[in-house]
Amino acid sequence: MISAQLRKSISDLTRRRARTTFAVATLALAVASIAFFAIPTLIDDTMQQEVRANRLAYLSVSIRPLPLTADQLAELAAVPNVAAVEPRSSVNARVLVGERRAQALVIGVRDFARQRVDVVRVESGTTPRPGEVLADVQDANVGVYDGDTGDTLTVVGERGAAERARLAVAGRGRNLDGGEIVQDEELIVLYATTSTVEELSGEPEYSRLAFELRDKSPAAVASTVEALRRHLAAVPGFTGFDDLPDVRAPGDWPGKTETGQFADILSVITALALLSALVLISNTMTTLVAEQTGEIGIMRAIGARRRQIAAVYVTTALLIGALGAVVGLVLGIVMSSLLAQYFGSQFWAVDVGFGVDPTVLVVSLVVGVLVPPLAALPAIRRAVRTDLREALEATGSAVGGLDAGDRVLRRIAFLPRTMQIGLRGVGRRRRRSIATALIVALAVGNLLAFLGLSAAATQSTRTAWDSHLEDIRLWTTGRERFDAGAARTIRATPGVAEAQPALVNGVELAGEEAFVWGMPREPLLDYRLTEGRWFSASEEQARERVGVLERNIADRVGVDVGERITLATADGRASFRVVGIADNQQEDGTVLYVPLTTLRSVLREPAAVDTYWIRTTSPDEALVDRTATLLEDRLAALGYETGGEVTYVLARDQIAENRSITTTIAILGFLIVAMSMVGLANAITMSVIERTREVGILRCIGARARDIRRIFTTEGLVVALAGWLLGIPVGYALNRLLVWMIWEVVDVRVPVVFPPWNILLALVGTVVLALLVIFLPLRRAVRFRPGDALRYA
Amino acid sequence: MAVTPTESIAEQTERAGEPLIELAGVEKVYRMGKVDYRALRGVDLSIESGELVAVVGPSGSGKTTIMNLITGIDRPTKGSVTVDGRRLDEMSEEELAVWRGANVGIVFQFFQLLPTLSALENAVLPLDFARRGSHRERFERARQNLELVGLGDKVDHLPAELSGGEQQRVAIARALAADPRLVVGDEPTGNLDSVTADEMFELLERLNAEGKTVLYVTHDLELAGRAHRVVTIRDGVVAA
Repeated sequence: MISAQLRKSISDLTRRRARTTFAVATLALAVASIAFFAIPTLIDDTMQQEVRANRLAYLSVSIRPLPLTADQLAELAAVPNVAAVEPRSSVNARVLVGERRAQALVIGVRDFARQRVDVVRVESGTTPRPGEVLADVQDANVGVYDGDTGDTLTVVGERGAAERARLAVAGRGRNLDGGEIVQDEELIVLYATTSTVEELSGEPEYSRLAFELRDKSPAAVASTVEALRRHLAAVPGFTGFDDLPDVRAPGDWPGKTETGQFADILSVITALALLSALVLISNTMTTLVAEQTGEIGIMRAIGARRRQIAAVYVTTALLIGALGAVVGLVLGIVMSSLLAQYFGSQFWAVDVGFGVDPTVLVVSLVVGVLVPPLAALPAIRRAVRTDLREALEATGSAVGGLDAGDRVLRRIAFLPRTMQIGLRGVGRRRRRSIATALIVALAVGNLLAFLGLSAAATQSTRTAWDSHLEDIRLWTTGRERFDAGAARTIRATPGVAEAQPALVNGVELAGEEAFVWGMPREPLLDYRLTEGRWFSASEEQARERVGVLERNIADRVGVDVGERITLATADGRASFRVVGIADNQQEDGTVLYVPLTTLRSVLREPAAVDTYWIRTTSPDEALVDRTATLLEDRLAALGYETGGEVTYVLARDQIAENRSITTTIAILGFLIVAMSMVGLANAITMSVIERTREVGILRCIGARARDIRRIFTTEGLVVALAGWLLGIPVGYALNRLLVWMIWEVVDVRVPVVFPPWNILLALVGTVVLALLVIFLPLRRAVRFRPGDALRYA
Repeated sequence: MAVTPTESIAEQTERAGEPLIELAGVEKVYRMGKVDYRALRGVDLSIESGELVAVVGPSGSGKTTIMNLITGIDRPTKGSVTVDGRRLDEMSEEELAVWRGANVGIVFQFFQLLPTLSALENAVLPLDFARRGSHRERFERARQNLELVGLGDKVDHLPAELSGGEQQRVAIARALAADPRLVVGDEPTGNLDSVTADEMFELLERLNAEGKTVLYVTHDLELAGRAHRVVTIRDGVVAA
């Protein structure tokens, strides 16, 4: 037997089914959005399984290709703290995918059956024998190569362009590092036996060593690195580590940082969605209670105490909360799992299982159940404290109409009467109108902020690429640096107008990953100084340790012009004086530009050139493509293993990639907008429901359907437009917040872009969406028969 | 849409021999949740033009239902409702709204004024809906009606600033806006003190004397006694 109070709560909900559905749906969306916080955990769980299955290396070092015997490898494995070692050879190759030449990286595995670190697992097909390869699962996922077991690949070897090898695809393989290379560099990654790689490269050499360590403390890792360096120094041909040793942080996996950054941005969006939903719920609960002022009066008149009345509405709110929480949880689990699965398959080709994060589950339940009663409390408090006579006479809608705001609205007399009624209705239900306008403002604000961000990201990418004056960049991937012969060949290649040598090195600056680019005094880079100057000819000549630092990293590590910075290079520490700050966004703004001569002296390689920046005789894309192919072929004929980038392709790809990220963010932003529109629909529906009698009266005195429509459309549009107006500053502030967050979290400087046409777009969007959400309640309003409307209670 | 809102007011002559209002075999069933409630069980009623008619009966007898049918607010479940030669039960909601705006003035027990509109704006509203006359003419007419009910000095007051009696006067002024032939009141004085109620009734009598057909529902037998004719409804049928 349920109590009369509980029965009233239940009947309050069933009596107004549409409103209850709205309230539950809004809450469910809010609760579901909390589940987004579980996405990184779900992905991380799966990736940790991958890390274990992959036996991901704790330490890996890149070296100039070096032949290592089984004994030498056994010695490395015997170095204190080394638990296992896995050598990898590799060769950069060009592969014919149909008629198209594509860059591929063939990674050599010594023995597929006995891999101890960085395991390449056979996902489908069979272990490759000599002359066969496995295609990385990411090749098809990223779309660089979608061949499978039974296909044959034509590989154009680096040594001898005319020499074409045919490799049979034995199946698909999976390896975390390889997959990351496909993602980052859009290369086709293939796995083969070392003998196959040797066949292609002509050398039995390893270029990467992966280690599993016993003690993973930083000190132990550092001493192990030194021990390895000493051991390798004894091997003829070892020239040092190619880059800084790659040490994996505990629990880390390739792409985890980016996922974390994306998750942080996702969290902000989720928080905004939650905020919108909370305003919505508070609005709904306030309406629910305000509408029942009369009934509250009746209950008080027959002896109910305030606490008992409050209990009725808290129960109602709890029921809504429980329903919303359950629906939201289910929705959230499904949505977050689907999104996690999408991200998992999209970025790592892994199958993220259907999972639940217990913390998120508990938070969702608590928020879902408790928020509605808390949101309803102020309204309940007001209702039980209203004068009893007033409460008994209340019809569910405020009388209003007497203060200064209303007087202003009454002066607007030039509008048709129906529009005046609508306009004054906004003033009459001021609290709700303001709450609804705020919801719309949040929606518009979000939309403007995300649209601005999207435009800014594209602009920022364009800025980064616009400063490139070169059309092609070529670098060596093999043992050889470019020499004078290579320089002559490059400059003599038809289509080349100018070729500038450069040297690039990965470094660390105050613990941050950075790059140092050794460049000529007048580089093919349109450097944009924000402070200081570019290095001078005399500094270049004297090999002075000066450099121009990108603004992003300068800000992050707190360096100003005139100060000295110390870089950790593969060859030890080196100190530079910062003479200028540039804002070119190269390598996400982490580059130190130094004179080429200086970097050569720092690295003790007086003539080293590993990159050429090449300007072609015309920016015509066909000519650039032709020249790039010709350069690769000619350099390959000279015995160089090269990698290359064509600027226009890269710029286009990156803009497209950025667009896909910003589109994802924009879609989430639109979700918030949609939620806010549910709020507007809710408010308008409430307004129509509680004024059903008024609609009846209007019909009785001759109002036609279009008169009624005009009244409520005016009301809805006024609120929506007020929301739009308020949303402009909100959007600007949110945009700044997001830009700041991206800078703080992702270390990427995105400009604040707030184009006026976005404001107009938001206006059109707001009006159209408002009209759409008003449509259904309006249809209900005009379909009511006057008799039913007058009897409506 | 074949709506001619002004037809019956200025141009149409009285239909010789035909009553203004005629209900024939009218039944009305309301669906209350899962239960059907028979409010009227076969009502035949004729009211001539120029009559002053009171409809009386106990609570739930069906008085208000009759008023709602005569004004087209509700539709009969069975039977026909003819007012001024038009079959209301055959008209669409939109046609009825337009017809009401032009031909019937309704006065409700709880006044039912729009709270955000001033007395004058409330009184002009039916003319706005009917789009009759110029803006100035509409206001002029509404102002005259308010003066007629004795509220010429309170035209700019909001309903909340008026007493119950004053609000009911505004409601009457609103009912008179389109100069209807038929004025219908649902307990028009039910919410007023006896002095104000008396004043209101005098106003209705005056309108009747000027040629309007006045029909009102009341509980007040003394008020009912002042009508030319009293129709008593009991258990959904006309008892007398």
